Amino acid sequence: MLRQATTEELDLTFVDQTIERVGTGKDKVLELLQAIQGHYGYLPQEALERVVELTEITPASITGVSTFYDQFRHRPAGRHTIHVCVGTACHVKGADAVHEAFLRYLNVPEGDDTDPDRMFTVEKIACLGCCTLAPAVQIDDVTYGHMTRESVPKVLNDFLKHEHDGATRRRSRKRRAVKKRSGAEIRIGLGSCCVARGSGKLHRALQDALIQTGIKVPVKRVGCVGMCHQTPLLEVVLPDETSFLYARVQPEDAKPIILRHFGARGPHRKLSTAVSRTLDRWLTDESWGPVTRYSIHVRDQAVSDFLGRQIHITTEHCGHIDPVDIEEYLRNDGFKALEKTVGELNPDVVIAQIEASGLRGRGGAGFPTHLKWAAVRAIEAQTKYIVCNGDEGDPGAFMDRMLMESYPYRIIEGMAVAAHCVGARQGYLYIRAEYPLAIQRVAEAIETCRQRGFLGENILGSDFSLDLKIVAGAGAFVCGEETALLASIEGRRGMPRLRPPYPAQKGLWGRPTLINNVETYASVPWIIRNGAEAYAAIGTGKSKGTKVFALAGKVARGGLIEVPMGISIRQIVDEIGGGIGSGLKFKAVQVGGPSGGCIPVGRDNLSVDYETLTEAGAMMGSGGLVVLDESDCMVDISRYFLQFTQNQSCGKCTFCRIGTRRMLDILERLCAGEGQMSDLDELERLARMIKKGSLCGLGKTAPNPVLSTMTYFRAEYEAHVAGRCPAGKCKALIKYAITDDCIGCTLCAQHCPVDAIDMKPYEKHEIDVEKCIRCGTCKSVCPADAVRVE
Amino acid sequence: MPKITIDGREIEVDAGATILEAAERLGIEIPTMCFLRDREATTSCMVCVVKVAGATGLLPACGTIVQEGMQVENDCEDVREARKAALELLLSDHVGDCLGPCVMGCPAHMNIPLMIRQIAAGRLHEAIVTVKRDIALPAVLGRICPAPCEKACRRRQHDEAVSICLLKRYVAGVDLQTGTPYVPPCLPKRGKRVAVVGAGPAGLAAAYYLQREGFDCTVFDDHDEPGGMLRYGLSADELPREVLTREIATIEQVGVEFRLGTRIGDSVSMDEIRSRYDAVFIGIGQLKPGDAESLGIEATSDSIKADGRTYATNVAGIFAGGDAVRSRRLTVRAVADGKEAAESIRQYLTGEDVVGPARIFNSRMGKLQDGEMETFLASASSQSRRTPSGQSGGFVDAEARAESLRCLHCDCRKPDTCRLRRYAQGYDARQAKYKAQRRPLVQHAQHPQVIYEPGKCIDCGICIQIASDAGEELGLTFVGRGFDVRMAMPFDASLAEALQETAAACVAACPTGALAFKTEVDTSSGDSDA
Repeated sequence: MLRQATTEELDLTFVDQTIERVGTGKDKVLELLQAIQGHYGYLPQEALERVVELTEITPASITGVSTFYDQFRHRPAGRHTIHVCVGTACHVKGADAVHEAFLRYLNVPEGDDTDPDRMFTVEKIACLGCCTLAPAVQIDDVTYGHMTRESVPKVLNDFLKHEHDGATRRRSRKRRAVKKRSGAEIRIGLGSCCVARGSGKLHRALQDALIQTGIKVPVKRVGCVGMCHQTPLLEVVLPDETSFLYARVQPEDAKPIILRHFGARGPHRKLSTAVSRTLDRWLTDESWGPVTRYSIHVRDQAVSDFLGRQIHITTEHCGHIDPVDIEEYLRNDGFKALEKTVGELNPDVVIAQIEASGLRGRGGAGFPTHLKWAAVRAIEAQTKYIVCNGDEGDPGAFMDRMLMESYPYRIIEGMAVAAHCVGARQGYLYIRAEYPLAIQRVAEAIETCRQRGFLGENILGSDFSLDLKIVAGAGAFVCGEETALLASIEGRRGMPRLRPPYPAQKGLWGRPTLINNVETYASVPWIIRNGAEAYAAIGTGKSKGTKVFALAGKVARGGLIEVPMGISIRQIVDEIGGGIGSGLKFKAVQVGGPSGGCIPVGRDNLSVDYETLTEAGAMMGSGGLVVLDESDCMVDISRYFLQFTQNQSCGKCTFCRIGTRRMLDILERLCAGEGQMSDLDELERLARMIKKGSLCGLGKTAPNPVLSTMTYFRAEYEAHVAGRCPAGKCKALIKYAITDDCIGCTLCAQHCPVDAIDMKPYEKHEIDVEKCIRCGTCKSVCPADAVRVE
Repeated sequence: MPKITIDGREIEVDAGATILEAAERLGIEIPTMCFLRDREATTSCMVCVVKVAGATGLLPACGTIVQEGMQVENDCEDVREARKAALELLLSDHVGDCLGPCVMGCPAHMNIPLMIRQIAAGRLHEAIVTVKRDIALPAVLGRICPAPCEKACRRRQHDEAVSICLLKRYVAGVDLQTGTPYVPPCLPKRGKRVAVVGAGPAGLAAAYYLQREGFDCTVFDDHDEPGGMLRYGLSADELPREVLTREIATIEQVGVEFRLGTRIGDSVSMDEIRSRYDAVFIGIGQLKPGDAESLGIEATSDSIKADGRTYATNVAGIFAGGDAVRSRRLTVRAVADGKEAAESIRQYLTGEDVVGPARIFNSRMGKLQDGEMETFLASASSQSRRTPSGQSGGFVDAEARAESLRCLHCDCRKPDTCRLRRYAQGYDARQAKYKAQRRPLVQHAQHPQVIYEPGKCIDCGICIQIASDAGEELGLTFVGRGFDVRMAMPFDASLAEALQETAAACVAACPTGALAFKTEVDTSSGDSDA
């Protein structure tokens, strides 16, 4: 990556070449901007002017589009970019403190985002979709999880070290053919979460270990198992199909594991005894986490609980198929549904099956899928489009990322079935740019499908043709709204418009367009193969089948789960998630992100289905479940979401653009201890007005987080008016103080980022409340639990 | 052709028509700011929301296509409340004053900035028209007014107030010197008569405005000459008698009749007045014992009891103003009382509800923040306040011109056509409903004729459409997202570069003062009602 930090004469050859490659159409604007930003590190004005000169893109369009999406910068960045995730799960686990710690550690000047040496640029990002790693940061393409204020220097050192090592490694690595040892294989999770927790390094370590030991066992990457709290996961499968699942495996464990299962030869033999001793100790050492027999012999209670209640439909074969290996997909009934659809079934029959299955849109609103399909099918038109909504912008959700990373063929198959039914021959997958691995895997899968005749002309020998393209989103939550998403594909600002006309009537470039969510399409092949009845047998009266949830926050076992509709919140949190990890009390679950609400502990026996959640003031949303404990302040949570929506609003309609900002003003006053009782009434009134008057779903649902917390936690709002934050979260309303338990160890003084504590060895320390920024570092480092929040 | 109802009234419209169009055909006005005829609705301002039976939430009338059997409610509490909320939200993010602070400070609410710009443009006749719209005795006040307007002047935050009072005196003086001073036109006679008791500043003003409204006015005064305290309470040094006489003469020219040397209660009884006139205005100055009794109206020890807003006394048809009703005496206040009471009397005589002068909505931007004065100063003269060298302390032409250029033009350029102001008034919206940090003042003034103030923009996007449809090479665009979305010029170009052809069309279509002509000089509409 070439990054120019100065404004000297800019070499525009890259721009010219990119235009040559990408094209000159108006709809190419996002793709061109992304390429330019990738190359220069920002969008130099000269480059944009060049684009205008050489393409059909107008100055107004390029200015409007490049300022709409979060991904784009208009000023030079440092050599590396640190994206601090401020998604919901990260927020409740202290993302703001991490962001501040990076700025402080790097001496970033006030008002800037880049350190004086132009090495690192620190940016907030709406959600990386790695919620189980919260708080997470991404430095260039490396993700680090479980960040703390104190781990900032370590992480930066690690990044710089590996950047250096990585460059050396890439140059020196030679590929060696690995002869397959019949039946045996090593499976390694390579979803984003696993990679962030080191499965990439583990993968390299495994390959190095195999080369060193001369053992030939194929190492297979598999998609997400969902057990994100246990990553990196490694599964060893022996020829007799017994398998061993290892959790939280470190790179240095690679060799001992290989030697344990596949023996040692030559010089390694000597080591074997020592190795097995090491392993034995390791197996019993709890600090390394459980090593669990998997598949049919699930011994570990936590694993069986985590997996026991799940039903795998969109995540079918999870953990043992290679995401992009088409042969394996085919061996596991892949493309059978498409075969049936293009071969024997009339589209009306397929649509009838979808209707009978009860499948509803998994993007959040729960609109019956068959109605959309039938509407597009019913319209006579030369050109129709099919679109997959993979713009999972909801902070605290990562289901669609996981599905795209792990099961790209399933999504493509679902789209192909749908396209055949409605008569579309061209389609798009709109995927967030924050999901590079998903984009890469889907792109790879599309290419393979083309080669194998599952996409392209005359699919499976029929007269059905379909081609799919990926459009990378550029960071705008509102693009999850279908009309905004279509505008974005067309190369415009992602501004929703009034419906009707619906996309089914007037969609992409004015043509009838079917648009469904990733998970909706991923459900389709199973329904066609197993029958509508089988699907409809799962779930509740109006909500059928399964729903994938991203379980994160304060839960002990976070991860990706697929559960039957109708399961209760309590079952999810307690049985699957293992309750609260911190030992604190369970307070609420935030369901559905910025459009959803908080379900309090008292109502956690609620059935998880569209209607019940909506009645409870929440929303299914895309499926983020963030578990909150008693240290989470509900006013702060509301403020967090309104901060998000007022920034993510497209800015078109008055209620959403200004209304959400005014709600945020009130919430900020409350969190600052400057609220009044009349503010609460005004907040509620404004919330109801915004719901009624906003143009699109974003605005209509934006007040939900506030309304639901005001319903269930009104006392907490009133406490803020009285100047108290019961959860001890709102900085303006709390004070840190050191108690008599202080042992004078000076740790707090050493770690305080603003020197608000004088170092007094063996004496009781004191906090200067004027200097204190209430970051909580002293409390987290104190070995004597002598720091109190007042 | 779908048939729908709006507020219970049925109408059949073409398929594809919007609710707004259907309402128009029914003669129902639905307020809208972002909609421009013959263009696709942008559905952004949401001031046009209506309730449609069966729909969740409210729908924008401008973009909602009618469907057979649709039942629309336009006139109901929900809709009014939502429209008011939309307006209040827009106002909470509106940076600008409809009227200059000077206008708000002037008891007579004279359009001072307009007068000043007319002086600057050398259009002195138009200036006197502006002045006389609100002030009956400008030459007089120009000499004796303590000028509350100048205390409110924004320029004081930088150096000294614009010398408003002397500029007004200058305009009036120039007018008087022509020998044929400006006499405003009167509406056709309405066949009603009003008696004005007292020929002081309040009475003269009341008579002047009532006469212009088509009522026959007779002013009674016990002195031999008109003027009241202006003549008998001030020395000739303070107010040269000639100025007073000449200015009162212009009031006579409007058609006001004077019955001097006539004391009500002595030569003419109040009953007689009431039987011969349809209404009475009392402006007798400071009350003397026995005055109230002889007039037959209720009074306290030192003043007549009159309604603060309508100037009505306890007797129907009798109104009172000026020093007779208040203890703090200020000539300009008395003149304003006369004008405002005239409006109440007009309402009374035409059978309307007597509510006094209409409350006009005015956006206020409050105190300037750091750096904002510089924005205003950029288009104003940097010279300090002029000391007049003219005869007895008035400005000569060059001085008046130079002083007029010091005005910051901090008032809105489109106060009369702004739809935000109009609807805010109609829906009784309050700008201060939401406590909010206001945006900084920004002005793009590089275009020779047009100015763009982002703080007044409601993000409707009409100008963007106009520029794009006309094929402007640069045109306009939205930049940013969320609360900070603004209309802007691509590549940070100037407005002049962005709008080569369509600047005037954009100004005309802009629903607020965000895009406006810099000065009235360039408009053909003019400000003269002569």
